[in-house]
Amino acid sequence: MSAALPIPVIQLLQVLTVALAAPGITGVIAKVEARLQGRRGPRVLQPYYDLAKLFRKEALAPEKVSWFFLAAPLIAVTAYLTIPLLIPVLTSYGLPLGYMGDILGGGFLLSLASFVVATAALETGSPYAQLGSSRAKTFSAITEPVVLFVVFTVALLTGTDLPYALAATVRSSAGQVIRPAHLLAAAALFMVILHETGRIPVETHTGTNEFGMIEEARAFEHSGPYFALLKWGSELKQLILFTILADVFLAPWGLASTQQLGAVILAIAALLAKACAVGCAVAVIDNSFAKLRLFKITEYVSAAFLIAVLGVFTLYLGGG
Amino acid sequence: MDPVQAAPGVYEGAANVIAAGMLLIEFGMLRQALARDQIRLYMAQSALLSVLAVVIAADRNLPELYALAALSAALKVVAVPLVMRRLLGRTDPDEGEEAPGVAGSHTLSPASAVLAGIVLAAYGFFCAGALGIHSPDAPVLALALAAAMVLVAFGLMIVRRDVASQAIGFFTLENAISLAALVVASGLPLILETAFLFDLLVAVVVFGVLIRAHHARAESLSTADLTRLRG
Repeated sequence: MSAALPIPVIQLLQVLTVALAAPGITGVIAKVEARLQGRRGPRVLQPYYDLAKLFRKEALAPEKVSWFFLAAPLIAVTAYLTIPLLIPVLTSYGLPLGYMGDILGGGFLLSLASFVVATAALETGSPYAQLGSSRAKTFSAITEPVVLFVVFTVALLTGTDLPYALAATVRSSAGQVIRPAHLLAAAALFMVILHETGRIPVETHTGTNEFGMIEEARAFEHSGPYFALLKWGSELKQLILFTILADVFLAPWGLASTQQLGAVILAIAALLAKACAVGCAVAVIDNSFAKLRLFKITEYVSAAFLIAVLGVFTLYLGGG
Repeated sequence: MDPVQAAPGVYEGAANVIAAGMLLIEFGMLRQALARDQIRLYMAQSALLSVLAVVIAADRNLPELYALAALSAALKVVAVPLVMRRLLGRTDPDEGEEAPGVAGSHTLSPASAVLAGIVLAAYGFFCAGALGIHSPDAPVLALALAAAMVLVAFGLMIVRRDVASQAIGFFTLENAISLAALVVASGLPLILETAFLFDLLVAVVVFGVLIRAHHARAESLSTADLTRLRG
């Protein structure tokens, strides 16, 4: 009926879908959030206009910064755009480049992006940018063990640490969905994602209140296209994390199992729908809980750690 | 050992998920600062226990467990929380004061308490694992979760310095033991299960008297006052 797409095209489509849809997902979340607060909110397409405006603006850099300050946004976006090659975005079968790296590989790329942005922020000498990068590094260090235990759970469940393998395992039977290890790992990962995308527990991801500012502060000294790249990068990171949660853990259904054009288009629609659903859930959670004080972050992370550790424990005894 | 673990059946998976949920609620009690919220968590945990009884009844075809689930829900989701609320809400009936808080009764910060709880739970897990039970009738995981819950309930009673949290900790201990009884000996005669259930009522009365007596004497729920010797 419909034409079969060559594999490289599908692989390219994975990256393009994530790259182009990421600002839109941010727009949807902003709209839902505004609605929940009784405002009308910006247009869903507003993030695209923001990016377009910033790309047309002049780029300025502080005095005495090295080339790295300007290279960092490019490296970060490149790292973010590499990750969609490694995870199931559109297809349920592994694409050739999909086995280039496992879950840890994806994690390394996320950390690399965050590291170069933090280093560039340090170079500026601006106190706010430095505060942001110092906080970001400190708190990512305490969420690291949670992610590690989630990876252990995946490894115990599938015997590998490939995201494709876990998605296939989850699809294989209802027993795999309802087993506690899987649900606990997914819950822990969701808590980490809430933290990493700056929703809960302390960060206000909009506005410029420095008390609750972690990731936002790092981009203070960048401007023009470079600032646009950083903004786009954080939107990409959000969509990538949502995709990992939806397509690997919670709902690996609706992915294309063939190379047919129709199936791939359906998979794109399913991905966008799933990302919007996760985004709505995130917006509701974000708006129903009060922000905590900065140092209460350990309480939140300890809860996520507990859930992840319990997941591994249940598997250790078998039958989890 | 095969690294890839086969999934348990849907019923057993659901039972394990419910048991894990009960353990998570136990951990939630470690950080709650209000007696009201702790009673709410106790209600949620008891409700999960009743759901678990229904799941096991459906799975193993034991109709008397439905009766036990209903009885347990009536007692632990409705009656005990009601009594606890009355006890805490009007410790002094003449003044009709607000429920005294249990805030500030943490001896450890919530994050440290959770980490200590993880260690206790790990100990419970590995002890249950060391028993080496391999039987389709006694799911070792739910048993291990129950053992972990018992230890964390003890931990809750140790790290909190107020009578209300200690009472709730004691009641959840009973929940943990009911969980173990349900998964290991679900075929127990109904009369025995019910007898265990009514043991809880004795504990509620004892703790009720204890809370009132302590509040009347020390004008607080904190047990920190008890460490001072009185001449």
